[in-house]
Amino acid sequence: MTAPLDVSGSAAEARPESVLAGAGKAIQGRSLTRIAWMRLRRDKVALGGGIVVVLLILVAVFSSPIIAVLGHPPLEFHQDQIDQSTLLPKGVFGGMSGEYLLGVEPVNGRDIFSRIVAGAWVSLLIGFLATLVSVAIGTTLGVIAGYFGGWVDQLIGRLMDVFLAFPLLIFAIALAGVIPDKAFGLEGNGLRIAMLIFIIGFFSWPSIGRIVRGQTLSLREREFVDAAKSLGARHGYILFREVLPNLLAPILVYATLLIPTNILFEAALSFLGVGINPPTPTWGGMLSEAVRFYTLPHFVLFPGLAIFITVLAFNLFGDGLRDAFDPRAH
Amino acid sequence: MVTYIIRRLIGAIAMLIVISMVTFGIFYVVPQWAGATPEALASRYVGRAATPETVHLVAERLGFYDPVVVQYGRFLKGIFVGAEYDYGAGVEQCPAPCFGYSFISGQPVWPDLVDRMPVTFSLALGAALIWVVAGVSVGVISALRRGSLFDRISMGTALAGVSLPIFFTGMISLVVFSYGLGWTPPGGAWTDFTVNPAQWAYNLLLPWITLAFLFAAGYARLTRAGMLETMGEDYIRTARAKGLRENRVVVKHGLRAALTPILTLFGIDFGLLIGGAVLTETTYTLPGLGQYSILAIRNQDLPQVMGVTLVAAGFVVVASLIVDLLYAVVDPRVRLS
Amino acid sequence: MRRKHALAGAATAALALVLSACGGGGGGTPQQPAQSASGGAAQPAFDAALTQVFNPSTKKGGTLKAAHSADWDSLDPGDTYYGYSFNFGRYYWRTLTTYKTGPGPDGNTVVPDLAEGLGEPSADGKTWTYKLRSGLKFEDGSPITAKDVAYAVARSYDKKRFPHGPSYLNELLDWPKDFKSVYDTPDVEYKSAVEATDDTTVVFHLKKPFASMDYIVQMPMTAPVPQAKDTAEKYKEKVVSSGPYKFETNEIGKRFALVRNDQWDAATDPNRPALPDRIEVQLNVNADDLDNQLISGSVQLDIPGTGMQPAALGKVLPDPALKARTDNPTIPRLWYVSVIPDTKPLDNIDCRKAVMWAADRVANQTAFGGPLAGGDIATNVMPPPIVGQEKFDLYTTPENKGDVAKAKEALAACGQPNGFATTMTFRADRPREKALAESMQQALDRVGIKLTLKGFPGSSYFSDYAGNVNYVKQNGVGLATHGWGSDWPDGYGFMQAIVDSRTIRDAGNYNLSVKNPEVDKLIDQASAELDAAARAKLWVDVDKKVMEDASILPVVWAKSLLMRGQGVTNLAYNEGQSMYDYMLLGVQ
Repeated sequence: MTAPLDVSGSAAEARPESVLAGAGKAIQGRSLTRIAWMRLRRDKVALGGGIVVVLLILVAVFSSPIIAVLGHPPLEFHQDQIDQSTLLPKGVFGGMSGEYLLGVEPVNGRDIFSRIVAGAWVSLLIGFLATLVSVAIGTTLGVIAGYFGGWVDQLIGRLMDVFLAFPLLIFAIALAGVIPDKAFGLEGNGLRIAMLIFIIGFFSWPSIGRIVRGQTLSLREREFVDAAKSLGARHGYILFREVLPNLLAPILVYATLLIPTNILFEAALSFLGVGINPPTPTWGGMLSEAVRFYTLPHFVLFPGLAIFITVLAFNLFGDGLRDAFDPRAH
Repeated sequence: MVTYIIRRLIGAIAMLIVISMVTFGIFYVVPQWAGATPEALASRYVGRAATPETVHLVAERLGFYDPVVVQYGRFLKGIFVGAEYDYGAGVEQCPAPCFGYSFISGQPVWPDLVDRMPVTFSLALGAALIWVVAGVSVGVISALRRGSLFDRISMGTALAGVSLPIFFTGMISLVVFSYGLGWTPPGGAWTDFTVNPAQWAYNLLLPWITLAFLFAAGYARLTRAGMLETMGEDYIRTARAKGLRENRVVVKHGLRAALTPILTLFGIDFGLLIGGAVLTETTYTLPGLGQYSILAIRNQDLPQVMGVTLVAAGFVVVASLIVDLLYAVVDPRVRLS
Repeated sequence: MRRKHALAGAATAALALVLSACGGGGGGTPQQPAQSASGGAAQPAFDAALTQVFNPSTKKGGTLKAAHSADWDSLDPGDTYYGYSFNFGRYYWRTLTTYKTGPGPDGNTVVPDLAEGLGEPSADGKTWTYKLRSGLKFEDGSPITAKDVAYAVARSYDKKRFPHGPSYLNELLDWPKDFKSVYDTPDVEYKSAVEATDDTTVVFHLKKPFASMDYIVQMPMTAPVPQAKDTAEKYKEKVVSSGPYKFETNEIGKRFALVRNDQWDAATDPNRPALPDRIEVQLNVNADDLDNQLISGSVQLDIPGTGMQPAALGKVLPDPALKARTDNPTIPRLWYVSVIPDTKPLDNIDCRKAVMWAADRVANQTAFGGPLAGGDIATNVMPPPIVGQEKFDLYTTPENKGDVAKAKEALAACGQPNGFATTMTFRADRPREKALAESMQQALDRVGIKLTLKGFPGSSYFSDYAGNVNYVKQNGVGLATHGWGSDWPDGYGFMQAIVDSRTIRDAGNYNLSVKNPEVDKLIDQASAELDAAARAKLWVDVDKKVMEDASILPVVWAKSLLMRGQGVTNLAYNEGQSMYDYMLLGVQ
């Protein structure tokens, strides 16, 4: 919404990501990457975040063997662990024991540990793919707006404004509520996950679009682009060979920072009851169940911690990545 | 300046119309693609085991037999010129902006929205005050003492703050402080400021702090980054060289420049928040716009959904307009064109 | 949660010509409720208010603090259909008859309220006459006449403006063809349906003979409305009281307060002790918070009367002192799963039977809240509080946990020996239905029946999804969670709407799965049966036929766990209301 304003610099600078502005300055992408990597290696906190991220991905990928060794199938009922009249776990601390590492859910006695491990898969999948969607839309429109300028820029700028003014959560809830049961050759939870990825990705693109637009604007004026133009290169060539490669670093950094946001978005939708269909475990969905049993702290705590650790790890890593790519922050 | 504002306002209205069309489409058109008949739509809004005649009458009453374009036109007309509502024993004027009448309770939507605004506004205002003051001061101190223990701890906490979902922190805070220790009231507590200011603040304390914790983090990080950047600029060095006191340098020159991006972020955040802090209000069951929107969607009460969506979007638009105008005040380099 | 429901198309030869036994029971000799209490217990004990009045008192004064976790459908007597609304509304309205106040089986009978006695049917059962008491007044001091009752009935005919209320009288009475509404066609006489022949006589003219008119007129459509003060749709904002309390304030969707109506004369009203001076109601209170306040005493009455939330149950049940404050009645409500024969392969009865055999009833009961908060395991359709109900079990399995071998046999007979896949729907905003769906998925998985679970908003569940014929067909919905309650304590009142296939239309259905001509035939037979005992027997046959058809999988006969408020006197569970009798309550 700052487009019509002549603020010194691009609108993107007004955002925290603005520190990226310098990233494009390094003309030799490879050496920048090497410098960044050296910096990143020195940043222990970021590295720690990165390691946790890798661990989480491993957990998600190998969730089945992990559950097979340490837990019970995530959908399996264990009502022998439940007090029939109160519906709460019989054991202390929510039924935590060597058998059930993090206790069991009320009512049906499902293994919380297994459900959290299984939930990692959904969270990460949606976090990654939704980010991919936003990056694809945001980069395409951002580059087009920044490169061509004029009315194209105006139009895309307005579009971004409209998206930013949407009460996103309300819209996402409404959309998720009208998802059909079969479409695009998918059905059931497959379709549901695909739609969530699309909805979340679709609503998060303007932020990345703005960054890319700002970067493109400044790149457009650079010598090498002028040179290519004067040599008679076509737009497509300039965009793909000259502009895009220089955008990769900021896009990578920003995408890393968008993943945790999207994970939180998914958790919020699940929490509000418009996420994945049960009984597939999701962290947000577990939290929304836990609201009814708030007297059971462990039931609230573990899914919440899972979200927290994941999002924090991505944020730490993304932060480090940004610092590494941005010479001015150090 | 005036032409600029007028142009922006016209743009804002156009934007709201686009948003209203999209919302209308989602709720009125999509069900029809899915094969819903006017009667099927109407049978959401009748009592149990209603007869087909009842359903038919209600469908007629709610205008479901008209083409969608006509229904949308009626909606727009209500907003711009108002509407008339025949309640049986007479005709009621519903002045512009008339968002229509709830399909379920038959109550006009606009007064309901106005009624709930103070709740959301109180929530947003109190939280914003805390997070701006806390966030900016922590950010400044962190920047000035870069690398210190304070810097590391506060930035770590800030990062934790952005990484915590509000429905989690909210729930934990309720379990600990309200149900456990009994220091704060349980969810759902709301007293109007005009009735009892102390009670108002006491009831909102927990939501304020939880919400502020989430946002303060971002502001602290942003302030710190901005300060670090500006404090390295030449004019700061010049100011110091002139022999200005350090405090003055920091506040007058450093902070002022760092405030610009904060202002933008604040405009968007605050606008979105007063449009309905959906998750916070759901967690604490506060009767504000956010809770209203969730209820409206859950009940499929379409006029309520339309109303709350447009009001929420309207707040964002207005907030961003105000921010842009404030720029001109804060940053002399900005020209309104 | 709606308890009351319509006898859809109540026209019903059902009870035709039969002046049912219960219709006449208990009439004429209304008693002071406090006196009718047999003994009474001051010491709190579990179920203490089920069979007698708990903490009996005649002390007047004080404020009763009530709360509701949602909102009324409407406070207008012509536009409301919730059980709690019928119960609570009697504070500010009076109807021709009402359920007998107090505990015990008598609570199912009706006694006169505005009327002097029960209705007088004509010989052909098509005309019912009610005589009003004398000395009745509205809150403004104007007399309540038969005209006001007839007008109230006529205005409730307008389903365009009052879509929530029951349709009994629309269906039963002989409305003139050109009569649309008292507002749209003010000049059209409605004498052919309901008329005031003089100031104290209301006469109903029915299209067909109908036996249980006294039950119909206990509903709030007969609460008098003064035409001069009728504001149609806005009347709910300012209802003119005919009962012992009137509105002091009314903020729709938030709160309202009732204070004494000084024009109400206790001499005209043997049913209402009217003990508190003031009744305050908070609306849209967070449900968990409401429970906590009920426990602590800052709220004394949970208006919906459907039981406590799980978090509170975890607190109350293990604590003997708190548990002693609760009552655990069985209510006339069944939670169940519709097994829909339109969806392949469930069109084959053996596949439906496989579902019956495979279900784990204990797990289902737990999903629905366990034996106390949920209910008893249901083995057939009609719940125990229904008159003439018989318990039988066509699908007995070891320990009620399902019988995998029998289910597999049934699957083989159906030609799907390895099981099949289908979809099960539930209301996403009802955690118990979600838990039930998950439990069914686990149990059926044992025999290879794979369920895909789909949650939908409760507000459009019947209009757009499970109750929408097209949706069910196109999306292959095989199972659907469902619940049904009755305000009519007999077979017709409970069963007809959910098992008569002729009630099925395009959308908004409540009968999702029973499409069996033999069931329909039995319903007709039961409706034509004149003898009450034989009729009850026929309804049991209907029940058996439905269970043989395997199109309803019963889950629990609902019980609710109600908590008696702190400092509330005169508490008694009333069977007719299926919650505490609000009319009796007082405060210490």
